[in-house]
Amino acid sequence: MIEFKDVSLVYPNGTQGLKNINLKVNQGEFVVVVGLSGAGKSTLIRSMNRLVTPTDGELLIEGNNILNYNHRNLRKLRTRVGMIFQNYNLVRRSTVMRNVISGRLGHTGTVKSILNLFLKEEVSLAYQSLDRVNIAEKLYQRADQLSGGQQQRVAIARVLTQQPKIVLADEPVASLDPPTSHQVMKYLRKINKEDNITTIVNLHFIDMAMEYADRIVGMRSGEIVFDGPVSEVTEQTFEKIYGRKIREDDLVGGHDNE
Amino acid sequence: MNSETVVQGLTSTKEKLRITIILIAVIGMYIYTSRATESSILDFIDGWSGFQRIAVDLFPPNWSYAPLVGEKLAETIQMAIIATTVAALVSIPIFLLSAANLFPNAWIHMPVRLLMNILRTIPDILLAVIFVGIFGVGVFPGIMALFIFSLGILAKLMYETIEAIDMNPIDAIRAAGGNTMQVIWFAVLPQVLPQFVSFTLYVFEVNVRASVVLGFVGAGGIGLLLQQQVSFFNYPRVMTIIIIIFVAVVIIDYISNKIRERLV
Repeated sequence: MIEFKDVSLVYPNGTQGLKNINLKVNQGEFVVVVGLSGAGKSTLIRSMNRLVTPTDGELLIEGNNILNYNHRNLRKLRTRVGMIFQNYNLVRRSTVMRNVISGRLGHTGTVKSILNLFLKEEVSLAYQSLDRVNIAEKLYQRADQLSGGQQQRVAIARVLTQQPKIVLADEPVASLDPPTSHQVMKYLRKINKEDNITTIVNLHFIDMAMEYADRIVGMRSGEIVFDGPVSEVTEQTFEKIYGRKIREDDLVGGHDNE
Repeated sequence: MNSETVVQGLTSTKEKLRITIILIAVIGMYIYTSRATESSILDFIDGWSGFQRIAVDLFPPNWSYAPLVGEKLAETIQMAIIATTVAALVSIPIFLLSAANLFPNAWIHMPVRLLMNILRTIPDILLAVIFVGIFGVGVFPGIMALFIFSLGILAKLMYETIEAIDMNPIDAIRAAGGNTMQVIWFAVLPQVLPQFVSFTLYVFEVNVRASVVLGFVGAGGIGLLLQQQVSFFNYPRVMTIIIIIFVAVVIIDYISNKIRERLV
């Protein structure tokens, strides 16, 4: 379980990233965070693995306040919280396999990882993860030879290899075309269901949020302005979150017809 | 609107004045330095007989001297290989610590950079003189001089390369629980490895050329022969050495360039 208690974050330049956030996410939920760019979605997501550190409040993950974690605890936390990025963040010159096995780094000692001494089970886990997102045949290709959608699937496989309890996805489809976006969202949804991984996704496309989320959290200038199950969400809800009328470009369209 | 407006040229009067002043300053500087050093382009004409004399003296090269030159050339290349390899290995921790994106704390990267900047300001020939003073005439001081010289260049080129890498994969490895060493090994080094090899080859080329000069101050290699023969005015032998150095440097540069083209 993840619990934000009055969490605020002020960046060193004075920008208020988060303002008195109170939020509870249960194990296995699929939450989509929506809001305009600059609304604090990324900050919210990145504070859960401490890529940014809130300046006030308490953030509990599995009952422990992660805001006072030291280096060692932080590393442990990050093995349990996986992350998917907008730009996939693969090492482009390395092979797919090497990228995927790097999901094990938090579980592996420094010397062992540098000498490539990963356990047999870890290597086969990496392979299975690739297989689950249907890209196992690209095993030894260099990451930069793959398309955007394929790279994002490799990034999902990397997260799976980490065997996390929570997956954070920061605008995972913002760089992809509509069909590929749906494919990526489907894989995220699938691992959420199959492995009971709590999944928190930032999206700015309304239709996509509605299609995949259990629950929607709306953010506006660092505050949560809506929080509820998808069934309660209407167009008015989005207009309230966005503070303006819904437009064509708030929709990704291209409903998946594979 | 008046379409007959007359514009005075393409630049303002102020700009023209500025350019004129700069031009006068440059020419004035040239005239002053030329007078101060008592040398000018006219010296070419006065020195013409010297050109002819040395051209006659240098030919034909003395090829019977070539085997000894070959031996010393091998020594020069060996010096460059040892110095470059050791410098490449030693530079790794130095350039990593100098990269501000890996070690944002200025107390870490600034002192390391400062040390390297100081090393780089010392000319290689001066390093050689110092090491010959310490270790005596021979190959070892030459290797030491090349090593220090290479270290400074490599560290600078590499930390600048690292500061330009894609930081996204680094975020990803950190988010997966990787520590600094793992971030470096999995996300930084794969990105800079081609440049590292390329710069190392480049430094090797530079070292071969530099080691010619180092011989002049007793730091081993082919330069020692060159210096001896020049001081004996044995120009046919000098020519042999020059030709052999020239051919060797061209070949090494060519091979190294071909390899580097393939890398990046």
